[in-house]
Amino acid sequence: MLTGGMETDVLKVLKEEDIRKIHNSSMRVLADVGVHVDEPEALALCEEKGARVDHQTQRVYFSEDMVMRAVETAPSTVVLYGRNDDSRNIVLGGKRVYLGTGGTALNILDLDRKRRPTTAADIARTAQLVDALDNVHFFVIPCHPHDAAEDDVDVNRFFHAMNNTTKPIMGGIFTENGVDRVINMAAVVAGGMEKLVEKPFISFISSILSPLKMDGLRTRILFKSARAGIPLATSVAPLAGATSPVTLAGTLVQMNAEALTGVVLTQLVRPGAPVLYSACPTIMDMSTMSFLFGSVESGIMNAAAAQLAQFYRLPIYSTGGISDSKQPDQQAGFEKAITALMPALAGANFIHEAAGQLDSGMTISYAQYVIDNDINGYVMRAVRGVEMDEDALAEEVITRVAPATGNYLAHKHTVKRVRTEFYYPRVATRTNYETWEKAGGKDIWAKAEEEARRILENHLPQRLPEDVVARIMRIEPGIIAV
Amino acid sequence: MREAYESGIDVSVIVQDGLIEAMNIIGPKMASGEMFVPEVLLSAETMRAGLEVVKPYLSAGDVSTLGKVVIGTVEGDLHDIGKNMVAMMLESSGFEVVNLGTDITPEDFLKAVEENKPDIVGLSALLTTTMQAMRKTVTLLKEKTSNVKIMVGGAPVNDAFAREIGADGYAPDAAGAVQLAKQLMA
Repeated sequence: MLTGGMETDVLKVLKEEDIRKIHNSSMRVLADVGVHVDEPEALALCEEKGARVDHQTQRVYFSEDMVMRAVETAPSTVVLYGRNDDSRNIVLGGKRVYLGTGGTALNILDLDRKRRPTTAADIARTAQLVDALDNVHFFVIPCHPHDAAEDDVDVNRFFHAMNNTTKPIMGGIFTENGVDRVINMAAVVAGGMEKLVEKPFISFISSILSPLKMDGLRTRILFKSARAGIPLATSVAPLAGATSPVTLAGTLVQMNAEALTGVVLTQLVRPGAPVLYSACPTIMDMSTMSFLFGSVESGIMNAAAAQLAQFYRLPIYSTGGISDSKQPDQQAGFEKAITALMPALAGANFIHEAAGQLDSGMTISYAQYVIDNDINGYVMRAVRGVEMDEDALAEEVITRVAPATGNYLAHKHTVKRVRTEFYYPRVATRTNYETWEKAGGKDIWAKAEEEARRILENHLPQRLPEDVVARIMRIEPGIIAV
Repeated sequence: MREAYESGIDVSVIVQDGLIEAMNIIGPKMASGEMFVPEVLLSAETMRAGLEVVKPYLSAGDVSTLGKVVIGTVEGDLHDIGKNMVAMMLESSGFEVVNLGTDITPEDFLKAVEENKPDIVGLSALLTTTMQAMRKTVTLLKEKTSNVKIMVGGAPVNDAFAREIGADGYAPDAAGAVQLAKQLMA
């Protein structure tokens, strides 16, 4: 059996002394270069708590002591809850690995293979799909509802997610009052604010800009979220060569400083506030200036980020299973496999963007979710590794079978472990050529489309109770019926 | 540059055949992927430094500008790398560029157009949320100005969106932006 949260740390792209070097450089960057914060309330708070603040240039400088105090008060484990279903909780921290979706795409490559702008219905349907895919452990709201009014984007995103999956939900916030309205709505679902904070099944993303910059809106979202006690990822996405140094080491230094800035700010607002060390390191294409998601360098840096988070004993929000390819093809397959496997084998906790995304995160595809469920299955099987108990070593079985029939196929040891020892993909082709040809000679894209269609037609997620929906609709009339 | 000037070569020849011609070679090499962006930027920097050397000796008419462009990132958006890249490429291709910076309100764009009287306004947006600010800016400029062409760009922007909001053109990258600006001037 493969379950989210299995542990590993077999991959180490950084040596211990490398981690030390990055840490020391990041500390000097935070103390001497500082962070631009475009929000007077935040500047005042930082100053009050002992940071050096230059109000003229709006820069905050954090000493190592101040950073490490925040690292201490920040929780080492953050649990993101399943809605009304504790079996779906994810316990972030340590070396526990989970893979899930990411956002925020603007387009979808639909089941008819036409690309179109995403709608609120796509949020509902991707949530429903993910609800049925075992190797997608959480749901980061993956797309923008183009049919929703500008002011109602946030409530539409979170409502349709909550109504279609019980897996933990995370999402970015796009409007000023969005945090409050989404929290209110989730509190109605939870049966009160206290219950929501006790078992938060929603969490937020508020980005820090590279290099070392926080804008007003995102700082205010961070503050509101930390005050309310809702878990937060302060996503930082340095683009090596463009918004951070071209070297991977230099990008890791800056990324580490930025990720720790998110931790420090939340802890200044409220010590103990649930926050993730948030990393989304990428590179830029040097001929087109396109932002690249699926590079091998991104895989290396995300694995390194996991090691850094473990060094600070902080749970990590990381990035993997991503691709720049425009459709489900070979490029998508190898980019996703490599960028998911590297952070996973390093023990990254919350590997987001690892389902459904194509086109550097700008396009999603129903079929791709199904394919990525298989890729994630391979990855989780690798995370599980080799069990070494006596029964697994199977010395006795070898002694009995090898000199006798030589055939392990019918042995009870095989029967007992056959379902758990191997991972069985849903849509990868494993038959011989003729069987494949007779079944229509379909490639994985076509097979994944069929599977996606089957799930969307048949899978019934646990929906919100009718009275809860009615109450939410009264306070949020801008929610679109899908 | 100094050597060229001191050896008596005409300043306009130095600028036209030395500097601008060099950038005319670099543009297509960038578009074909043969040259990387940082290398192009260094070339543009070099050109600018060269221009500084001969500037004191230039008189009006020595260098013809292709047109004047006011460029900025729209309200609510702090991203400036892509926009600056476009500004630099336009400049080194022979356009005069007024770079307004980031987080520019529609009203400030309008003010800049009234003050600078450009041929083209370039709007940049990197966030899905700021695409609406782009729409508002285009609407205001179209309503309050005449003759100025508007070009737009940025990760979430595409050709269809550009047409929908009433912009005159869209380019997917910096080399494309130069081409588009030249077309808009034709």
